[in-house]
Amino acid sequence: MLRQRIIFTLIYDSGFFSQSRNFRLQKVGDITWLEDNYKFQDIAFSLDELVVLNATRGNKNILKFTRMLNQLVGDVYIPIAAGGGIKSLNDAKLLFDNGADKVVINSALYKGQALVKEIVGHYGKQSVVASVDYKNNDVYINNGTEKIDMSLQEYIDYVESIGVGEIYLNSIEKDGTGFGYDIDTIKQVTGQVNTPLIIAGGAGNEHHLMKGANIKNVSAVATANLFNFMGDSLPNAREYMINNDCNLVKW
Amino acid sequence: MKVAIVDYGMGNIRSIVSALKYIDIQDIVVSANEQELKGADKIILPGVGSFAAAMKLIKNKNLDSILNEIVMHQKKPVLGICLGMQLLGSSSSEGDFNKGLGFVDGSVDIFNSDKIIIPHVGYNQVSIEKPLRLYRNMRDVLDFYFVHSYKMTSNSSIGQNLCQYDEDFIASFELENIAGTQFHPELSQMNGLNVMKNFVELF
Amino acid sequence: MIKKISWCKNCLNMSTRPRITFDGKGYCNACQWMEEKENMDWSSRGDELTSLLDKFKSTNGNFDCIVPVSGGKDGSYVAHQLKHKHGMNPLAITVKPALSLEIGDQNLTNFIQSGYNHIHISCNPLILDRLNKYGFIEKGFPYYGWMLAIMTAVIKTAANFKIPLIFYGEDGEVEYGGSTENKNNALYDVEYMKRVYLEGGHEKIFDRIRGDGDVSEADLAFFKFPTEDEISEVGLSFTHYSYFEAWDSYRNYIVAKDHCGLIEKDEGSHDTFTNFSQNDQALYALHAYLMYLKFGFGRATQDAGIEIRRGAMTRDQAINLVKMYDNSYPEELIETYLAYYQMTKNEFDAVLDKYANKDLFEKNDGVWQPKFDVAQEFSY
Repeated sequence: MLRQRIIFTLIYDSGFFSQSRNFRLQKVGDITWLEDNYKFQDIAFSLDELVVLNATRGNKNILKFTRMLNQLVGDVYIPIAAGGGIKSLNDAKLLFDNGADKVVINSALYKGQALVKEIVGHYGKQSVVASVDYKNNDVYINNGTEKIDMSLQEYIDYVESIGVGEIYLNSIEKDGTGFGYDIDTIKQVTGQVNTPLIIAGGAGNEHHLMKGANIKNVSAVATANLFNFMGDSLPNAREYMINNDCNLVKW
Repeated sequence: MKVAIVDYGMGNIRSIVSALKYIDIQDIVVSANEQELKGADKIILPGVGSFAAAMKLIKNKNLDSILNEIVMHQKKPVLGICLGMQLLGSSSSEGDFNKGLGFVDGSVDIFNSDKIIIPHVGYNQVSIEKPLRLYRNMRDVLDFYFVHSYKMTSNSSIGQNLCQYDEDFIASFELENIAGTQFHPELSQMNGLNVMKNFVELF
Repeated sequence: MIKKISWCKNCLNMSTRPRITFDGKGYCNACQWMEEKENMDWSSRGDELTSLLDKFKSTNGNFDCIVPVSGGKDGSYVAHQLKHKHGMNPLAITVKPALSLEIGDQNLTNFIQSGYNHIHISCNPLILDRLNKYGFIEKGFPYYGWMLAIMTAVIKTAANFKIPLIFYGEDGEVEYGGSTENKNNALYDVEYMKRVYLEGGHEKIFDRIRGDGDVSEADLAFFKFPTEDEISEVGLSFTHYSYFEAWDSYRNYIVAKDHCGLIEKDEGSHDTFTNFSQNDQALYALHAYLMYLKFGFGRATQDAGIEIRRGAMTRDQAINLVKMYDNSYPEELIETYLAYYQMTKNEFDAVLDKYANKDLFEKNDGVWQPKFDVAQEFSY
C-alpha cells in the first residue's frame, strides 16, 4: 500500500535558513547551524523527503542557492525537491544537476504554461511540484505578496490542466503559527484534486502532523517549522505517528 | 570495480553517483562513450521523463547498439532504474507506441485504474517472492521510493517482484546479468542502498 | 539538607521561580491557569468589562482610558480592542526606556501612525539612568527606574488628565507562573504593584539615590507613586485586559501585525527563538540574563512556555530550544552596557556574580555555566 510521507521544508533566504511566520522571515542560521542542529544523515530516517525553497526576496541568486543545495544534499538518500524563482529551463536544469530530484514551481506557473510544459517535456511530469500559496480563498504569487485573480479552486483546476506531478498546498494564514493545518480548506481540496497533494502551513508539533495525515487523500504532510523540529523532534514525531497507526514507512 | 552510468541526457545522475560512493564504489564514469562504457565492469541505466524522448536520445547517440553489445553479447551486468528499467523492456505505449531496447520481455503502459491518483509517488512495498540477488539479506516486505505514471508488466518469467498500486506491476526484475528497478534505489534510504550494493556485488 | 529543583510537567517553568506553585499533576500555576482559561465561561468577564467601560466611557469626547504601550504587540492589542471593538477613547502612553532599539522605535511610530492619540514621556534621563544603575546593583534589575516609571509616570499622567481607568496588558504573575492572588480580581492597587511587581524594593533604591546628595524630591517627581488621597480624588482604577478575555500573546502579535504596523526583527536574538516580542530596549536582554543567573531559566524558557501553553509545540520540542538559547551571556551588548552604566567589566561582572545562584551555576572560564540539565531533576 502506498505510504504517506513526512516532508521537511527548508526555507532559504540569502544564505540563511529561516523561520517563516505568515510569510515573514526570521533568519535563523547558515548551513553550519543547520548541520549542527539538523544532522540530516542522522535524522534522515525520520524524514521521507526534503523540500528546499529559495524564499529570498528580490534577487534570488539561483547560483548561490544551488551551491548551498549541493552542499546540503551530499549525504542524503531521500528525494529532494528544490525551487523558488525558477524562470527558465536552465534554472531547472541547474537544480536537477545539483541534487534536486524534483523542482518546485510557484509564480512561473501562473505567469504562463510554457515553462512548466518545457520542464515536463524534458524531465517528466513527475519531476514538477506545483506550489500554491493561499489565504482564505485567494491565491498569491511572488512570495505571497501578489494576489492573482483566480480563486483557489480555479487555480488548482488550472494547475492540473497543465499537468504536474504533485501539488504543494501552503496556507499563508497558518504558516509558522503552530496553529495546525487549515483542515477545512484541505478537505475541500482533497475532494477536488486528482494530483498527489502535499499539505503545508501551521504544523508545529506531532499532533498537527498526525491530524493532517489523517485527512483522507493527503499524500504527504509538510512542515517548515525550523525551531519546533530541531534535535530529536522529527524522529520523535515520526515514532509518535507510527505508534498511532499512521501509514508511514518504518525505517 | 568500475561502474559506468549511461549519460544519454536524461536521468538523475548525481544522486546515483552519491549512492555509489556511499557503498564504496569510487571508480565511477558518467558517459555515453562506447570505449568508456565497454571499459566498465557494471552499467547503470538511469532515466527520468518520457520513454519516447529517451529512446530518441539513445538512438541518436547509437547507445542502443552499444548497450546491446555490452549487455546481450558481453553479458556485462546492467541495472536499469525507473525509466531506465522500462527502456530495457520491449515496448511502451507512452505517447505513441515505442520500442524499447528489448533486452527483456516487458511492456510499459499507463496505470489504468480510476481508483488511484497518478503519478504513483511515494514509498510503497515490494513483496519479495523468492530469495533473489537484488534483495539478498533483506526482509520480505520492503518500502522503496516510486515516482512514475507508467508501469511495466511481463508475460514471461524475468525474476520479477511486484508492487501494488491498485494493480500489480513490476517493481524490479533480474534475469541473468540484467536487472531493473522501477523504484529509485538511490532515494530509498538504506533499503535502496542495500539493493545497489547487492547489484554491485552479486551481478 | 538536600534541596531539589524541578520543572513543570507541562511547560518548562522552574520551581525556582518566585511565587510559583505546582498542583498534584506537577503542573505550575501558569499551566493550571491555561486549563482554567480553556474551560472558563468568559462571558461573565466580558460582561464585567462592558460594565466597567460603560461606567467610564466618556460622553463628551474626552479620553476615557489610558493604555500604556511600548509599541509592542501587547499594548497595541489592548489599545486596538478598546478603541475599535469597544468604542472607547484611549490615550496611549509610552515611557521612554533607556537604550531604545531602532526596531522598537519604528514599531512605536507605526503604532501611533495607525491612528492613536499618544503621549511620549521622557523621565529625566540623568535620574532614570541612575535609578536603573542602582536597581541593577542593588536588586539585579537592570532597568529598575523604568519599571518604576511605567507605573508611576503613567499614573501621574492619568491623574493630571483626570483619566481614571488604566488598562495594563497582562498580569504577568497570573499568566506566566507567579502570584495568583489577583487571578479573580478585575482591579488591583498600588500596594500590589509595590509588593509584587517591584518586589518591595523601591524605597531602598530611593534611599540610595537620595544618599548621593545631589538629587532632590523634585527630581523624583515622575518616579513617585501617588498618595491614597490622590488616587481616590481622581478615582483611579488599575486593571489588566487579561482579566476580561483569555490572554493569548500570539493572537496579540497577529492583531498588532495586521492593524498596528508591528514589524519583527529579521533575525532572532541570541537568547530566544522568537523575533516579535520584547524588541523595544537593549536592557531587556540583560534583564533576561539576570533572571537566568538568579533562577536558572531565561527568555527562551518564557517564550517556550507561551508556545507550549498555546499548543504550538510540545514540552520535548521546547527542551531543545531552551538548551540552545537560555544560557546566553549578552556578549554583543556588553560594551553598550558598560558605557551605559559607566562601569568597568570587572565591576559589571561582579554584579552578575552577586546574583548568580551558586547552587545552580558554577563559573567556567569567566562565564557562569549551569550545573543542571534542562528538565532533569537536580539536587544540591
